[in-house]
Amino acid sequence: MRAVIRRHLLVITAVLLSNLGGCATPPPADDTEAVAEFKETNDSLEPTNRAIYAFNDGLDTVIMRPAATAYRFIVPPPVRAGIHNVLSNLGTPVQLSNDMLEGKPRRAGDTTMRFLINTTVGVLGLFDVAKEWGYPDHDADFGMTLALWGLPDGPFLFLPVFGPSGPRDALGLGVNTAMDPFTWVGQGVAVRALDWSRYGFSGLDQRERHLDDVDSIKKTALDPYATFRSLYRQHRLAQIEDLRRDKRATIPVWFPQSGAPDTVIYSPAISPAY
Amino acid sequence: MPNRRRFLVLTAASLLPAAGRLVRPALAQAATGHASEFVKSLGDKLVAVVNGPGSDREKREKLTQIIDSAVDVDGVARFCLGRFWRNASPEQQKRYTELFHQVLVTNITSKLGEYQGVRFTMGRAQQRDDTEVVATVVERPNNPPTNVDWITSNTGGSPKIIDVIAEGTSLRLTQRSDYASYLSHNNNSIDALINAMRQQIAQAG
Repeated sequence: MRAVIRRHLLVITAVLLSNLGGCATPPPADDTEAVAEFKETNDSLEPTNRAIYAFNDGLDTVIMRPAATAYRFIVPPPVRAGIHNVLSNLGTPVQLSNDMLEGKPRRAGDTTMRFLINTTVGVLGLFDVAKEWGYPDHDADFGMTLALWGLPDGPFLFLPVFGPSGPRDALGLGVNTAMDPFTWVGQGVAVRALDWSRYGFSGLDQRERHLDDVDSIKKTALDPYATFRSLYRQHRLAQIEDLRRDKRATIPVWFPQSGAPDTVIYSPAISPAY
Repeated sequence: MPNRRRFLVLTAASLLPAAGRLVRPALAQAATGHASEFVKSLGDKLVAVVNGPGSDREKREKLTQIIDSAVDVDGVARFCLGRFWRNASPEQQKRYTELFHQVLVTNITSKLGEYQGVRFTMGRAQQRDDTEVVATVVERPNNPPTNVDWITSNTGGSPKIIDVIAEGTSLRLTQRSDYASYLSHNNNSIDALINAMRQQIAQAG
């Protein structure tokens, strides 16, 4: 059995390696519109990325999608919501660190209040009481922090297992893991088992939440890879725009507001780039 | 009483900019209020069809009517072909646009089951350039709530949807990059795209 697995791994590695270094061929220089599009797409490693996409897609078809479908079938919605909330509550240290690195005190305050309320009143994070009390959740990760600091996203990368990314977001992913106290705290079999079950449930939770969307994209897109690439980048851009636009004052709501704008100017993050 | 008159004039003058400031948001509000009403009634119609009785075929017919009257499908189709629209012959443009209508309806009707039990709540409406953006939150069973913004335009006289933005991702931009990638891997042949679209509709049948 182990030999079979090893042979399969070898084949996969060989396929990946033979495609590594495969670069997308730029269009002829005289076709200026095609060249502009090629630059906007910013996917110079496209052949390699597509190979990894195919690999992930196979992995998803055989493991993740069936597991997530079973998870949806077996676990009733309120329990799934509870598990999602607990996982989200466990993400507090990373979220709070990034809120602070981004210099967004109101976001850091939201995160702190959410943790305090949901861990106590929300029974160890099972219920998202804080949301009802006016402390909504928001996204925060080191990739977004780097973006706010001015680092561009760079060429598109499709990571094995993790999926769509780029140099900035891949670095962010690594730093996020390093920032997470759970990566460092404790040792022994029990802690490791807890760590891995957390990763496992995170994967199940994320995949289950996107079951319908991913199915429908694969069904309706002519080129699912290009569609996922575009969706990923648009979504990241929107997250970063939300973060950039969040200029809420640090004065509490009950304190007389002076000069704090009461309306946020709305402009959806649309970039013609994709 | 020159003093009194001067006082009145001064007061009136000082009020003018304030009045102007009051009038302008009111005008913008009227426009966005219009867009909100339009999106609300469209949403109600869609939800009524999706959650209502009837076979899939009947629902498909009703949805086609709603989409054709509320969405600027021709405009969206042209946008999605991007730079290739100009290279297409009038015949290709016509066939592509017809197919695009069908693909849009097929894509929406193929999600009928998944959207069973859908609900939506209205958010704020904002003016942005010459379009109005109406925010909603769409909730369907088994799925986390989704922020959906409806971009409406009045350029044709009556309000029409020109784009839908779900969690920051624009439907027409995503569609355009899908077509652009397909074309670039098929020698930029519009006939190949038309064939692929035809096949897609046949498969969804």
